[in-house]
Amino acid sequence: MEVQKEAQRIMTLSVWKMYHSRMQRGGLRLHRSLQLSLVMRSARELYLSAKVEAHEPEVSLQPARSPDPRLHRPREAEAEAARLDGEQPSPEPMDTQEAPRAEEAPPRGGPRPAKVSRKRRSSSLSDGGDVGLVPSKKARLEEEEEEAAASPEVPDRLQPSPAQAEGAFPNLARVLQRRFSGLLNCSPAAPPTAPPACEAKPACRPADNMLNVLVRAVVAF
Amino acid sequence: MNYPDESTYGNKADIISTVEFNHTGELLATGDKGGRVVIFQREQESKNQIHRRGEYNVYSTFQSHEPEFDYLKSLEIEEKINKIRWLPQQNAAYFLLSTNDKTVKLWKVSERDKRPEGYNLKDEEGRLRDPATITTLRVPVLRPMDLMVEATPRRVFANAHTYHINSISVNSDYETYMSADDLRINLWNFEITNQSFNIVDIKPANMEELTEVITAAEFHPHHCNTFVYSSSKGTIRLCDMRASALCDRHTKFFEEPEDPSNRSFFSEIISSISDVKFSHSGRYIMTRDYLTVKVWDLNMENRPIETYQVHDYLRSKLCSLYENDCIFDKFECVWNGSDSVIMTGSYNNFFRMFDRNTKRDVTLEASRENSKPRAILKPRKVCVGGKRRKDEISVDSLDFSKKILHTAWHPSENIIAVAATNNLYIFQDKVN
Repeated sequence: MEVQKEAQRIMTLSVWKMYHSRMQRGGLRLHRSLQLSLVMRSARELYLSAKVEAHEPEVSLQPARSPDPRLHRPREAEAEAARLDGEQPSPEPMDTQEAPRAEEAPPRGGPRPAKVSRKRRSSSLSDGGDVGLVPSKKARLEEEEEEAAASPEVPDRLQPSPAQAEGAFPNLARVLQRRFSGLLNCSPAAPPTAPPACEAKPACRPADNMLNVLVRAVVAF
Repeated sequence: MNYPDESTYGNKADIISTVEFNHTGELLATGDKGGRVVIFQREQESKNQIHRRGEYNVYSTFQSHEPEFDYLKSLEIEEKINKIRWLPQQNAAYFLLSTNDKTVKLWKVSERDKRPEGYNLKDEEGRLRDPATITTLRVPVLRPMDLMVEATPRRVFANAHTYHINSISVNSDYETYMSADDLRINLWNFEITNQSFNIVDIKPANMEELTEVITAAEFHPHHCNTFVYSSSKGTIRLCDMRASALCDRHTKFFEEPEDPSNRSFFSEIISSISDVKFSHSGRYIMTRDYLTVKVWDLNMENRPIETYQVHDYLRSKLCSLYENDCIFDKFECVWNGSDSVIMTGSYNNFFRMFDRNTKRDVTLEASRENSKPRAILKPRKVCVGGKRRKDEISVDSLDFSKKILHTAWHPSENIIAVAATNNLYIFQDKVN
């Protein structure tokens, strides 16, 4: 549990750093982004393995979800991120075609392990008590947030604000803004608002839990 | 070490970002965050002042780079000087390369101590006279004037790097040099500014598969076809330009297997190499990662021949260092002239020297309080745990905002230059 909370804290911190690094002079630094994404990945793996250990006994009792929606989810999220990204200046690549990919690149690190873990997560673990790993409905999203908010380990400034009823599928930028608004406001260099939101209309994508939101946040950058 | 000499600056633009002696050690160049270059020159020793063994005084100051704006990407390009490299002196003028994130410039620094006088083409107010009124041909005469040192940009090598330049290195042929960014290394000819050859390209076709970046690169001191580059994964590749035009396949690959007992959450990022330097002999390379300095023999790829712990007491503090961003600090390392001692910086304005032969090491501090002229620097010690002795400092009292990232060693004498944020310290060894 301690490990989980620490991993979560590091993930949150990493996302904040990634966001903040966009604001600095000279633009996004590839090496820094890569390092942050490596830490993010390690934290995520730690978080997931800690989760797996914690929920091991429950797994065998519950039916596994069908993997298909979840496999589609990453692609939709990428498209979402690409759409968001298209509105923001992409520092690294020269042609726009590469733009979404470049932004997604640093956090991916090795694509194989990331994809493998995502697949493993979806097929071997079920819903029920396993909030962190399975696509869930909005109600669960709020539950997750309250759980996180209640955690004494998370420093006050990093606590996500309570979920607002924004509709079934909050757009990624707005989610970030909502979650990290306290964080952003306390830093003088940070902008007061999140990057321009594009009003996406995802039709069937289930609401993400915190873990996936963080991963998508990394992808969006 | 004694005899500190320092220049003091006040604000953020004055933070020194690079320090480099020229090949004779007569000149010392510093670059700062504000895009300025300051060159110090060593005073000639005079018989009258035996004790003042060649002080370094300001010789020239000029603005090398200005902030720029890339309109296409909506990005500001910082004017901070990332690296300065001197060219060997071939005539009376001095030449150096200075680079920011995107553009390399060749500067010529020359002295002017004579002025031509006696032109009869202009009147007293400086207006050109009517040629019809000029009846005599008067050859101007050179008259002495106060010494003036002028710096002029002779070449500008721009638009060749998509990513941020981290290194430049002059080739031993003195005709070419290379510039390295996160993913590519380009080879330039000093005479040609509108073209460069790409010699290393590690950009994956799909950026999603990016796992490592280039962190530093350097040419071999004697073999003009050989160079090395280090990566964020802690590896070094040695390449031979004779093998192929694009040196994506290395000739040698230096990597130390990871020690599983040291594996931690931040293992990957602290293994990133921040600096790589050939020894003067060309037989060894030295690399700096976050906690150690390693010496490698070019003939042995599977592990370094020497490893020195710079500040191992930070290993248990990596999480805090991640929080305050110190874990991303890029420390440089230098060899002394005879390759027997290596030096690198640390926190709290400490810098460390390791004697490769005696295996002794020392920690010194660059600070005004501890450095009075001709005083001998006192070795410092960091207390790791347990009882702290009187003049030791505990790990928790270290000031992480005072970091020494850039140092330089005179090519033949025991004179070192240490940059501590916006102060430059020059220490000389008292021989007699």
